[in-house]
Amino acid sequence: MQALKILVVDDDQVTRSLLKKRLSKLDYEIETADSGVEAIRMISHQYFDVVLTDLMMPGGVDGIAVLETAKENNIKTEVILITAHGSIDNAIMAMKKGATDYLQKPINLDELILRLAKIQNLKHLIKNASDLRVAMDVTEQTSGETIQHLEITVAELEERITSMRSILNRQEIAPEKRIGMALAC
Amino acid sequence: MSLTTNGNLSPSISAQAAPSTSKLNFDAFPGIKKSIKVTPEEIKLLSQYIYTISGIHIEPSKAYLLETRLGKLLEKEKCESYSEFYYKAKSDASKMLEKQIVDAITTNETLFFRDANPFELLKYKMIPEVVDKRSASAIPGMPIPIRIWSAACSTGQEIFSIAIVLKELLSPLSRYNIKLIGSDISDAAIRQASYGTYNKFEIERGLPRDRLLRYFSALGENWKINDEIRSMATFRKFNLMGSFNGIGKFDIIFCRNVAIYFKLEDRSKVFEKIADSLENDGYLVIGATESLTGVCPRFIPKRHLKSIFYQLK
Repeated sequence: MQALKILVVDDDQVTRSLLKKRLSKLDYEIETADSGVEAIRMISHQYFDVVLTDLMMPGGVDGIAVLETAKENNIKTEVILITAHGSIDNAIMAMKKGATDYLQKPINLDELILRLAKIQNLKHLIKNASDLRVAMDVTEQTSGETIQHLEITVAELEERITSMRSILNRQEIAPEKRIGMALAC
Repeated sequence: MSLTTNGNLSPSISAQAAPSTSKLNFDAFPGIKKSIKVTPEEIKLLSQYIYTISGIHIEPSKAYLLETRLGKLLEKEKCESYSEFYYKAKSDASKMLEKQIVDAITTNETLFFRDANPFELLKYKMIPEVVDKRSASAIPGMPIPIRIWSAACSTGQEIFSIAIVLKELLSPLSRYNIKLIGSDISDAAIRQASYGTYNKFEIERGLPRDRLLRYFSALGENWKINDEIRSMATFRKFNLMGSFNGIGKFDIIFCRNVAIYFKLEDRSKVFEKIADSLENDGYLVIGATESLTGVCPRFIPKRHLKSIFYQLK
């Protein structure tokens, strides 16, 4: 299974470097954006499994805008918002808009790593389910074709046998003639 | 272990008002849950019960289904065994538990435009022919009647797919008297079908984006079918194993992927009743991998394009 592709969005350079360094060590593919504007630009050019974004950012484009853009671009992108300590209301509003999760500052790295692992598991399961479904569809289609073909063939054969029977039972026709007519069915 | 007041060591978990049996009181151990298994006798008991209330036949080899499907319900009812669960369901006069068992045991695998072919069949063969025939015999000026039944409609995807095909094909709809009925044995499925609301996983399957946007509205994380489509169908609870009295006659019947859960002789009975509910020139559509050979001799299979449908002999 491929590594999660994560976009870290934060106007604070120290946070960006730290997250990039620590998460890369875990084999995640990390890209960074220093503002909401840059994040939106990157999101429109490439797909990210996860977008980890600060909620409050200067520059007119905040975390909510990043969340909305990410979801619009690809509904499968999971967005985790980083909120200021104590601002639960904002976090809840974000969840209602489709955010996968939120973390309060200061970021507990262990917690973040656990949440990312959960997302990875979830995507695994979804892919599994999707693969099963594809296999089922293929099976259903091929066996469907076979069964339908047999269904029609059986019906035709039943009809022929019925005709042959009725001809062979026609006493008014000479037996040899009956056989010939029956075989012509 | 903690010290009691007289200085002796004693287990910190006291023997509470535990039942006199040797069963452990799991309430004293929060976080530890025993997974309750079903015994061979209980399998027999429950399979028979499920057959009686729904006609669904569970083979002995499929016993695991009972645990996976009913386990949660058993826990919710706080039963300690499947026997207890069975007796509780049987003695419940309100039949609430029975309904919940039916909801849990039925397979609600369905999607919009499942298998595609029958819907092409509807669009290019069945509906045009029904319209021709019914308009020929209709009273001039009166709307042309079209009656379609989705037997075992589950959560509604099939009947709404049929409704969408009708909406796209027939214009104006007011020229027609369309009767679309969706029925299922599961109350929960019928309830969801009535709401017409689907989550993103249910929506993703089978629905191209343009149809999604045209016929559904976003409702938070979910999608809801628009009123104009929703109003085309009515839903009711119906047990295919029971009497078909009063269901009336239909021009087109869809009975897909439900008979597979019945025993062979029950399958025959169901399709006999369906034959009785179909107009003489009506159409029957069954699941892509199903067959009526040896099941119901009243039907003859016919092929059209990549599909198969059945008509009365």
